[in-house]
Formats: sequence, structure tokens, C-alpha cells
Amino acid sequence: VNRLLWPAATLLLILIALVSLGTGRVWLAPSTLIDGLFAPKPNLGWLILTELRLPRTLLGLLVGATLGLAGAVLQGLLRNPLAEPGLLGVSAGAALGAVIAIYFGLAAVLPLATPLLGIGGALLAGLLTFTIGRGGTLTLILTGAAVSGLGGAGVALALNFAPSPYAAYEMTIWMLGSLSERTWSQLGLALPFMLVGIGLLLSTARALDALTLGEAQATSLGIDLDRTRILALAGTALAVGAATSVTGVIGFIGLLAPHLVRPFVGHQPSRVLLPSALFGGALLLSADIATRLIPTAQEVKLGVLTSLAGTPFFFWLVLRLRRTSP
Amino acid sequence: MKRFLGLMLAFGIGLAPQADATAPATPHVAAKPQRIMSMNMCNDMMLLMLVPRERIASITYLAHDAVETLMPGADRGVAINHGVAEEILQQQPDLILASPWSTPVARNLARRVGAPVVEVEAANDFEAIRRVMRQIGDAVGERPRAETLIREMDAELARLAARRQDRPLRVVAWTGDGSVPGTGTLTDAIITVAGAENIAAKKQDDSYSSFSVEELLVARPDAIMQGNGRYDRPSLRQARARHPLIDRLFAGRQIDYPDAAYTCGLPQTALAARALADAFDRIPREGPRW
Repeated sequence: VNRLLWPAATLLLILIALVSLGTGRVWLAPSTLIDGLFAPKPNLGWLILTELRLPRTLLGLLVGATLGLAGAVLQGLLRNPLAEPGLLGVSAGAALGAVIAIYFGLAAVLPLATPLLGIGGALLAGLLTFTIGRGGTLTLILTGAAVSGLGGAGVALALNFAPSPYAAYEMTIWMLGSLSERTWSQLGLALPFMLVGIGLLLSTARALDALTLGEAQATSLGIDLDRTRILALAGTALAVGAATSVTGVIGFIGLLAPHLVRPFVGHQPSRVLLPSALFGGALLLSADIATRLIPTAQEVKLGVLTSLAGTPFFFWLVLRLRRTSP
Repeated sequence: MKRFLGLMLAFGIGLAPQADATAPATPHVAAKPQRIMSMNMCNDMMLLMLVPRERIASITYLAHDAVETLMPGADRGVAINHGVAEEILQQQPDLILASPWSTPVARNLARRVGAPVVEVEAANDFEAIRRVMRQIGDAVGERPRAETLIREMDAELARLAARRQDRPLRVVAWTGDGSVPGTGTLTDAIITVAGAENIAAKKQDDSYSSFSVEELLVARPDAIMQGNGRYDRPSLRQARARHPLIDRLFAGRQIDYPDAAYTCGLPQTALAARALADAFDRIPREGPRW
């Protein structure tokens, strides 16, 4: 089974990416798009494909992969099946940072301000959750909820102070996430941070495996726990912070992806990481395709769909936890 | 969305239109009211044009920016109100210009103070501007002045009609927040009078429909109009409006217009249309090439 898994997953991902390139608010026949590649430029198909749909597709894949990977690492590190960037308040912190950068004109002066403040916000939120929420599943989740609430309140407050009268309306966009009309330059700004973050997250794989035996055993195996925590936190902050600063808060991908791949790859954390990233990308992109296909006057927000799909799963997870734990 | 927000601002923060069953009991209006209070931004500006400042009790706090754009200095020394009931008691007006969206509490109170309330609709086309000008002119006892302003506006409109192009430009007012003004909006009226065709008016869902960048590319308008002014603060929609693709493809085909001139239907709206027609003349005649 395992040998077929990778080709199958890759094939699925390519398929979804192709569908993503082929769908939009405007229906263009695939032949138009393909002809556009060879016809004299600029032409309609070429413009829509390369300037609008391609950056959006890549961003969806990357952000989904980032969230899936961060979820897998956090679940392994905290040995907690409910851990994910959204639940731990990291996404909300990132959104707060990004909103401050955009609405108070910092982004207009220095485009790099948005991802940087997003990362800063993610880092602060993550630190807060990790330090206050130490010592168990329950405290961590509670602290995460509190930090999420704080981040959300901060976003609302920042937007109340923002000089733009559209801020209140746009707040929903931030708290629900969206990939629509993103540009190459936005992707370019966030990409380096996301890649470094993904690298840091992947580097925790061996330590996560050791941690399944317990903290004391992991230490005796020569794992530096503090270093692992810092790597995981920094990686999450960089990757999720940069991603959120472009897309807004997108929930549940980080929670869902690792759980959905475990039945196929087993429970060893290091083996869950990459498949989670792949699956996160596929999941997010599928949700984004759905936002483009649902025929509403304004595009459905991406976060609405991931939450709609994610919440029932979350309930199922909680019920199962209740059954398995005493 | 933009116009909607504009309306919300203009009519005092989101109050539902009131279904007034007990309405117009034709209140007694003094021949020339001396303490006129306006509770709506568009009425503010008409009032400033029609009566001397001494006869104005107050205008809304929202008017200042638009007044600065359209008739600089006209509101100097005029008191402001925030459209709330207490100010009616405090200012004791002898005429209140309200809109169908004005707060019902304020209007009930006005009835008790004994000040006549004249309800003025929003003017979203040139016929409505004439109607509203005459209505306010009658209410404040300055009908001849109102007629003069209407004549000036009509003369301007006639000049505009004379310079119509044989092939009207296809344009859209697109500001990046995903909604564009369609039929029944003042912007649509201005575009039509300026001699162009508003492609958003063709969409099925009238008034304000949505337009993504993809749809914009497919529609291939000759020019896109982008509003600016007091709403030009850093925001997501500002970032969207500066989409690099739009800047590149519509280079030389973007027309900036002042939001303030497109919010309220006024005699000056004809001037806004003339400015727009001038801008249209600078747009290349051959369509965009993709």
C-alpha cells in the first residue's frame, strides 16, 4: 500500500491543481486557456491563467501545505490530537500583525511589513500559548482559545481605529480567509518565510519521534527538548505568520490534514509530516475551488468552507477522544 | 458596497428606512425659515447653495469633506449636528430637512418640538436632482434660486449632449472591493450623461453587482474609473485596486474621479459629468488589446 501512496497523492495533487487552474468566476473553455499559452501575448486566456489563477493555485497549495505541516508538528510536539495553529491562537496573532501593517499604512511604505508583522504576531501568540498553557492538553487548548479570542479582539479593535471606513467590512475577510485576487508579488513576499518555516518544522521530525516515548525518554535519547520547542514554534510562526498575512485566518486545515493521513501512514510523527503537508495543500485548494464554483454574487469566503468541513470532523474527534480516554 | 457605505455615512449610520404610516401631515412651514437644520449630507450641500449661512442652524458633521471638494469654504462658520435627537431640542430649528433614513426618534421629537420636517429622497439621476432641488427650494422659500441652479445644470447637460461620440466608450467604475455601481445609481447616471456606456449596468443583478479581476479582463472595458477622496485610506480594497495586472493592462485607461462628487446628486453633478467626459476624450479610441 505504502509504495502506491506517494504516486497516488502526487497524482491527486496535480489533478486538483489542474482543476484549480481551469476554474474561476469566469468560465473559460480549457481550449481557450491552452491556446492562450501559444497565441501571441498578451491574450485573455494567458492573462487569466498566468496572472490570476496560477499565483492563486500556488498560494493555495503552499498555504495548505504550511498549515498541514504545522498541525502535524504541533500535534507531535504537544502529543495532543487537537493541536493546530488556529486552535493555539497562532493564526489569530498573525492576522492581528498583518491587519496592523495593512490598515495603518506600513504595508504601503514597506511591502515586507505585512509578512514581518504577521510573523511577529504569530510568534507572540505562540509564545503566549506555549508559556501559559504548559502542563496538559486542557490548559493548552484553553490558553489557545483565550489567545485566539485576544487576537480576534485585537483585529476588531485595530480595525475600529483604522482610518478606512471599509475596515469593518474587510474584517470578515481577514477572519474568514480568502485567496481571491492574490498577486505574484504577494506570493513572492511570503514565499521565503514560508519555505524557511517549513524547513524548521521538518527539522523537528527525529525529535518528535523520540517524544512519543515521553519527555524523559526523549531527553535520555539525546533530544534537546527546548531546542525542539523553539524550532517548532519558530517554524510555525514563520510559516503560518507569512501565510496568514497573505490569506487571512484559515482554520481547520492544520487539524484535519494529519488526522486524515494517519490511517494511511501510521502514527509515527516523522512519517506523518510530509503527507500532512501534501494533504493540507490538496484540502485547501479543493476548498478554494469550491469557493469559485458556488454561484453567489460575492465569492464565498475560504474560511467558511474549511470551517464547515472542519467542524463536524472536530466533533467526531472530540467524541472519539472521550471514548478512548478514561 | 462603496455607495452603500457612502449612504450609511450620509444618512447617519445605518438606520432602516422607516415605514411611516402617520406620515406627511403637511406641517406648517414659515415662508422663509430662519433656523434650518439639515440631518443628511446631501441636503447639507443643497442647503448651503440655496440659503445664506445665517439661516442655517446646523448641517451634519459628514458634510465638511464633500463641501471642501465641491464648494470650498461654503460651510465656514456653520454649526454641525450628528443627526441625534438631543440636538433638535438644543438648536430649536424652525425647519428640519431629513431623509427617509433619518432616525425615527429624531423625527418624532421634531414633531413634538413643533419643527416641520421635510423628507428629501436621495437623488440618483438628473430628473431626481431637479425634483429634489425644487422641493428644498420650496421648503426654504428660495424657489427662484433653485430654478436658477437647475437652469445652469441643464445648460451644462445640453452642452454635454452635443459632444456625444459616435462610438460610446465602454467603461466601469471599479474600485477593487468587488462591487460596481450598475443601473439606478448616480454613478451610472453620470457615466451615461458623459457619453459612455456603463458595462456594469448590463449585469442582471442591478444596482451594485460584483466584478472580480477575471470578469474585468473578460469584459474588456475601454476604461476603468477609480474613485478616490476621503475613502482613500490604507485598506485591503486599496491594495486590490492597485492590482499590478490592472495597472499594467489599463495603463492610460484609468480615470480617477472624486468620490465626493459622485455621492450626492447636486447641480454640480453636471460638472462632474463634464470632467468625466473630458477624461473620456483622453482615452485611446481603439479598445484594449488582449
